[in-house]
Amino acid sequence: MPFLLPALAVLCLVSLYPLIQGISRVFYAYRALTREDIFVGLENFVLLFQDPVFGRAFSNSVVWVVASVGMMFFFSYILATMLNSRYLRFRRAFRTMTLVPWALPGVVISLTWRYIFLANGPLNSVLASAGIANPPTWLTSPQLALWTCIIANTWLGIPFVTIMLLAGLQSIDHQVIEAAAIDGASYLQAQLRVILPSIKKVVLIVLTLETIWTFNSFDIVFVLTKGGPGSASMTLPLYAYQNAFMYYQAGYGAAIGIIILLVLLTAVILYIREVLQ
Amino acid sequence: MRLHPVKQVLLHVAVVMSIAMLAFPIVLLLFNSLKTEIDIFASPMGIPTHITWENFRHVLTETPFLVNLRNSAVVAFATVALSVVVTAPAGYAVSRFKFRGRTLFSMWLLATQSFPGIIMVLGLFTVLKTYRLLNTLPGLVVMHTSFSMPFSIWLLKGYFDKIPIALEEAARIDGCTRLRSLVKIVVPLSVPGLLAVATFSLLLSWNEFFFALVIMRDNAHYTLPVFLSRFLGSGGVVQWGPLSAAALLVSIPVFVLFLLGQRYLVSGLTGGAIK
Repeated sequence: MPFLLPALAVLCLVSLYPLIQGISRVFYAYRALTREDIFVGLENFVLLFQDPVFGRAFSNSVVWVVASVGMMFFFSYILATMLNSRYLRFRRAFRTMTLVPWALPGVVISLTWRYIFLANGPLNSVLASAGIANPPTWLTSPQLALWTCIIANTWLGIPFVTIMLLAGLQSIDHQVIEAAAIDGASYLQAQLRVILPSIKKVVLIVLTLETIWTFNSFDIVFVLTKGGPGSASMTLPLYAYQNAFMYYQAGYGAAIGIIILLVLLTAVILYIREVLQ
Repeated sequence: MRLHPVKQVLLHVAVVMSIAMLAFPIVLLLFNSLKTEIDIFASPMGIPTHITWENFRHVLTETPFLVNLRNSAVVAFATVALSVVVTAPAGYAVSRFKFRGRTLFSMWLLATQSFPGIIMVLGLFTVLKTYRLLNTLPGLVVMHTSFSMPFSIWLLKGYFDKIPIALEEAARIDGCTRLRSLVKIVVPLSVPGLLAVATFSLLLSWNEFFFALVIMRDNAHYTLPVFLSRFLGSGGVVQWGPLSAAALLVSIPVFVLFLLGQRYLVSGLTGGAIK
């Protein structure tokens, strides 16, 4: 297979081998005293399940994914439906404008949201002029920090999800929707019973991809809160990074990574099963 | 069927407001880059009244911005070149040939999307260390190419699927070799797909932060996203004016590239998902 060889070689070198190498790190721990990695078996997993910060990061990650992807889907579906309307003019221009934020660097977007949420930043200046006496400190409040990150992440995901859903909506035959209307379906009934099932494949793809990307996402939380205050907005990828590259506990970071991998592989397998049916 | 004029106006208002919400942070960035540090917090939402170019001057002359810009550009263009060279034949093979393990190969490509960055970075760290590629630009090119490959192969397969196999067969009956029919027939027809892959891998490489943060050690090797994150420092005061100017400068190239390449990219992104 001369055509496939370069890709296979590169994929093995930069994806299969590192995957195995990365996973194998979990069996080792760095000992500062002797400055070497020693084999510790499954000790990193044992430590993981006794670590309250890991527990917090795990539950935060679940909230982070479910809330972000849920809100992305909700707002994107409305926007895509509007962009698909036959009565909308300049549809191509609007579609292009919608996708612009998707192309910008995640770090730029994250830094801008950090500025927006500053205690003396734009959002609170609007709230103050609206008569709210004590606007919250979004980034440093234990109750709000995670949700602040979720709002920024939702904003970041909307362009891609909208464009994908729009492409799905554009592929629906108009006669199907008109037939539903003639049969007396209400607007909501037509959305839930006719339109959503017709774009089921696109919906599954974007939900799977966004779940994977959001679960793995690093930039936003790193820039906005660094997981703080305390571990109030800590997510699994950030905690894994801190352990591996700030506390020199690569094995412990790998253990967190393996938990992420197991969760995500479940998502992919569910997706493949659904598509193959 | 006609829509009531009031409803039609409301539709346009709703769409424009949604897009304004999406554009709002980018507009803030533009405003802040032209404001003094005092104005930025005196009127956070206001348009700049005393326009200053000081922020841009600061970024261009008193920071390693230009060196990091060069690094980002070198890595991005090398990633594009390597991605196209490696994924084009692979996409063609997956589209045209029935070989053992084809399904496995496709599923592997999908599965790579779910590999956690932290596992890959720990593994690649060891690989790069072995070949003395830590803290080097080629090391980052290898990493970025590995991320862009699965999606690029998938995208190109979609493009090759659309080229009728009969065209190639006709060329071969007329005496073309397999390679010649590939170069003369398939490559010209798949230019939109190759442009989509180029746009995608360029955006990916230019914007990538996590791996660049982990493998680069000094100002001489940082790329622009890492450069931007260093404005946050370690607990010190953040200079939002220069930061905004720098963030804007980093965004302009991808913005232009996106406008040029979005036509190919949108059909590539959505094409595979619809069929």
